[in-house]
Amino acid sequence: MSEQEKRKIEPGVCIPWDEKRKELPKISGDQELVKRVWEDVDALGYLYIWQCLLSF
Amino acid sequence: MSAEMEQRYAERLKRYTTAMRNEKPDKVPIRPFVAEFTAKYAGYTDQEVTHDYEKAFAAARKCAADFDWDATVGNMVYVWSGLVKAIGLKYYAVPGIELPPDTAFQYLEPPEDNAWMRPDEYDALIEDPTGYLFNVWLPRVSGDVSPMGEPTSYRNNLSFVKGGMAMMNYFHGFGTQAALLRSESGTVSAISGILKAPFDIIADKLRGYKGLCIDMFQQPDKVLAACEALAPHLLHVAAGGADPDRNVPVGLWMHRGCVPFLSPDQFERFYWPTLKQIIEGLWERGIQTLFYAEGEWNPNLKYIAELPDLSIVYHVDRGDIFEVHKAVGHKFCLSGGIPNDLLAFGTKDDVRDCCKRVIDGVAGDGGYIMDASAIMQDDTKVENLRAMTEFTREYGVY
Repeated sequence: MSEQEKRKIEPGVCIPWDEKRKELPKISGDQELVKRVWEDVDALGYLYIWQCLLSF
Repeated sequence: MSAEMEQRYAERLKRYTTAMRNEKPDKVPIRPFVAEFTAKYAGYTDQEVTHDYEKAFAAARKCAADFDWDATVGNMVYVWSGLVKAIGLKYYAVPGIELPPDTAFQYLEPPEDNAWMRPDEYDALIEDPTGYLFNVWLPRVSGDVSPMGEPTSYRNNLSFVKGGMAMMNYFHGFGTQAALLRSESGTVSAISGILKAPFDIIADKLRGYKGLCIDMFQQPDKVLAACEALAPHLLHVAAGGADPDRNVPVGLWMHRGCVPFLSPDQFERFYWPTLKQIIEGLWERGIQTLFYAEGEWNPNLKYIAELPDLSIVYHVDRGDIFEVHKAVGHKFCLSGGIPNDLLAFGTKDDVRDCCKRVIDGVAGDGGYIMDASAIMQDDTKVENLRAMTEFTREYGVY
């Protein structure tokens, strides 16, 4: 397992923004907007697997 | 919504929430947890309400409209098997497919020597629970999801698209259902959100009950660490699904914490610490927990009494509700206590007598909600549930 994969992932997160940010070019516009939307949609992936575990 | 229905809803919400705050409302609230009973009453098969959630929603609304209930759950046949099959989950037997159409869905324990999580995988789960679930657990429990490192497939890709979109449709359906319950019959949606104990998650969905029992002896520290690793996630999911208005509780459905599944020492060491921590975390956010104590929980009452006042609504299944009232009735609202076998096999008079004993014994100062002991399936007689409802409405007036 890589060091990146080993670091602690907080509840509500699948791929942390800090990790995704490194893949992106320099953000010319509103970085906070990109971050917020990334995290909101990432949380849906989190919700999916935890609801599979809890509800189904 | 008509003004009359809005007024009825407001009265019922006040009655329900007042009782849950362990205070005295105008009447004893009635909040039955009805699952496959709704199918029987509405003229559907178990297969129909399990596999077609719109029929399940319709059946719940029909019951809500025909019975004078203050609150109910939008769909208590909660495990929608259409989604189960879309994802390819292996651990359910579904009515009309693996079971006869008029049999309720069943959860299947994993084989003892081939559980969904292997005994040497605790460290991976503890390190990154979400990653473990996606990368290891889901490919094992799904017939469609490809294991990591193996070629992907059409079925793998479809599983995530279909599963994700279907789940969103289903959960959005609960919002519509809540609005329809309110506008059509003035009925409150009884709970919001879901919680399970970390220990139960490991028992139910990861190691199986037998596997976890072995682990408690062979690698107890790993079991404890896994409970601690799961707890913040379970708190997060429960809080995220909670009622934003903080009126109704999160449903906590417990399976293996009762007698005789765990000894008192095992309960104290393995089951309770992380569950207590989650319930306290929810309460710090103003969220009550519907503590669905399935089975016999009275030997654990001394632990439950440790919880903050009002933090739970304590639902009594097979425990003696009068003992529960004596032990924790001053701290928490109680619900349940009408035995399911009585509702299935008794007479209307038996049911009325039992309701009277329970109301007399535990509801005198408020803080009690009428319900059966356990979720009602299709063996509950319509006439008996009607007797429970009508008697409580007549007799349960403060």
